[in-house]
Amino acid sequence: MRLMRVFAKTLREQRRDLLALGATVAFAPVFVLLYWLFLTSGSTTYSVLVLDQDTPAVLADGSTLDAGSQLTMALREVKYPNGGPLLKVETIGDRAEAEARLRDREAALLLVIPSDFSRAVAGQGDTSGPAPVAFVGDLANPTYSVTSAVVSEVLRGYVGAATGAESAVQAVEQPLAGSSGRTEFENYVPGLLVFAVIMLVFLAAMAIAREVETGTLRRLQITRMNSFDFLGGVSAAIVVVGVIAVILTFAAAVALGFHSQGPLWVAVVVGVVTALGVIGTGLMVACFSRNVTQAYLIGSFPMGFFMFFSGAVFPMPKVKLFELAGHTVGVYDILPPTHAVVALNKVLTLGAGLSDVTYELVALLLLSVLYLAAGVWLFGRMQLRAR
Amino acid sequence: MPDVVLSIDGLTKRYGSLTAVDGLTLEVSRGEILGFLGPNGAGKTTSINMMCGLLKPDEGSVTLEGRAVSAGDADVRTRVGVCPQEVVLWPTLTCIEQLRFIGEMYGLQGGEARRRGERLLDDLDLSEKRDELARALSGGMQRRLNLALALVHDPEIVVLDEPEAGLDPQSRVRVRHYIRSMARKRTVIVTTHNMDEADRVADRVAIIDQGRLLVLNTPEALKASVGEGDVVELTLADAAEAERAKAAVAAVGGLTNVATADDTVKVSAKGAVHVLPAIMDALAGEGLACRDLRLRENTLEDVFIHLTGRRLRE
Repeated sequence: MRLMRVFAKTLREQRRDLLALGATVAFAPVFVLLYWLFLTSGSTTYSVLVLDQDTPAVLADGSTLDAGSQLTMALREVKYPNGGPLLKVETIGDRAEAEARLRDREAALLLVIPSDFSRAVAGQGDTSGPAPVAFVGDLANPTYSVTSAVVSEVLRGYVGAATGAESAVQAVEQPLAGSSGRTEFENYVPGLLVFAVIMLVFLAAMAIAREVETGTLRRLQITRMNSFDFLGGVSAAIVVVGVIAVILTFAAAVALGFHSQGPLWVAVVVGVVTALGVIGTGLMVACFSRNVTQAYLIGSFPMGFFMFFSGAVFPMPKVKLFELAGHTVGVYDILPPTHAVVALNKVLTLGAGLSDVTYELVALLLLSVLYLAAGVWLFGRMQLRAR
Repeated sequence: MPDVVLSIDGLTKRYGSLTAVDGLTLEVSRGEILGFLGPNGAGKTTSINMMCGLLKPDEGSVTLEGRAVSAGDADVRTRVGVCPQEVVLWPTLTCIEQLRFIGEMYGLQGGEARRRGERLLDDLDLSEKRDELARALSGGMQRRLNLALALVHDPEIVVLDEPEAGLDPQSRVRVRHYIRSMARKRTVIVTTHNMDEADRVADRVAIIDQGRLLVLNTPEALKASVGEGDVVELTLADAAEAERAKAAVAAVGGLTNVATADDTVKVSAKGAVHVLPAIMDALAGEGLACRDLRLRENTLEDVFIHLTGRRLRE
């Protein structure tokens, strides 16, 4: 079967082009390692500066209350479920220096504790209003929102405990199945797995563009080989590389502390189906490429789209198009990796099984087949037909 | 009646306002070696790309024993083996891997493709390089492997596009010998802009220029058509005097042809050495000086100059 011969030949060529192969399969595992190194405690530690201007208050029984110090201590004690610190708290004496560090994004938030904070907590404050505790920060800094929410909650909790005032409502956290106790590092892994597959767009486009560039495709055109043999064989070989990349990425993640909540084989199925769509995109890139350099340059566009609009790197807001069988279909849902990110997140983080990701898998499969068919059709017309 | 294997009828290919091939019509007989001679850009490669179904003609047809050669008909298409002008190899496959792979793409079974590949490597002195990657071969070896890839499926018609281009003298002799050895077993079409290659290898030569077939015949008949005997080449000191020199020389008796090309006057004559003094006297009488003089036998280049007024390499 000629398809199998093309498959074997492409695999052999890939094996001998160690630089391209190594870069493709090692890319995502290296990112896993880097994320792990950046998130030493498993999750981000947000940096908070505290400008404590508080003067301790003398209570009726003669003891003193240093509420500013107690609040600072409470901030230091906020931990992730795995025991890692959520906040890195540093006291500072100069506001100008603190603001300079905020501008340099060395810290996410400056908490200014006023001089009458202890007296206010002790109920000795004046009647002009609550003591103003200032949150200073660069609101354009993405970490500010998270930090301010955490600090605000700590402040509210401390004041409530210190004053004995009961809150009218109680917020109870109810994590979705499996999401409790996940580190930020673990939350990044689904996206990184999709990242490993997205890289195949280059490999597929370059493998075919190389045949165009060297003229071997023209040589093959006068044989009995047809476009199905050629593109099927090349695609199958690239899928194998993709599976290796996904498995290596998994292995790296697991070795560095990642725990999957759901069955890994479902994640591998998602990876393989996604690979077909990505390879289809690679074929379309190859249609417009006369050489490997062009394939690389043109391939950067779909690669960028897949990375940034699928949610693989960071979550994207859903731009709704229509509803389908109870599912909101958004603009970015036309990209196969979008469904892969959602499906992998459900499987790996929330512990979903195959039946829980049926919608994503069906959407992924349809889109991947569509992309692959479009790539094969376009390539057949533009590169394999007699001119 | 010759056994015609390939018929080309009114083949035409245009690229915008340029007509690359203009109504090419010829027939190729089984077992003959046909030389396609013409300068670079004459339309040789475009013609052979249409012959093997890689290019669609705008007009005309190519038929192989009555069946049209087209991209869609693999049975006909694969009866032709094409060796392209450029070296077209898979750099990271070994010699035997390439031959086996292309053989399988032509429909051979793995074992048969390997056996034929081994034999071709042997025939083209590449056996020792059997397991070397193509990118590690010398330029001459790559060219020989390029040729082997066109032959592995044992095609009835072999089209060789400039097979001697870029070859070292040793490889050139080897390839020329191999092409001759293919004759009678296969039909061979060789494109070249090298008159010596066409003269030595081809049974018949088709001279094409600017997409049109100028003449088709045996090398001997073509050479005889521009004058029997020897050729005297007189390179003038002043190229502007070429036409005056031609007129002066033409007045000398016993000549069969006088032509000019650039700064050179070409004189064909039997026993040219005997009329040489009269030629020199005629030039001296007109006050014309030569800076070079050569006496040689007729070549296909003379035929081309006779037909076009230009040299092949212009």
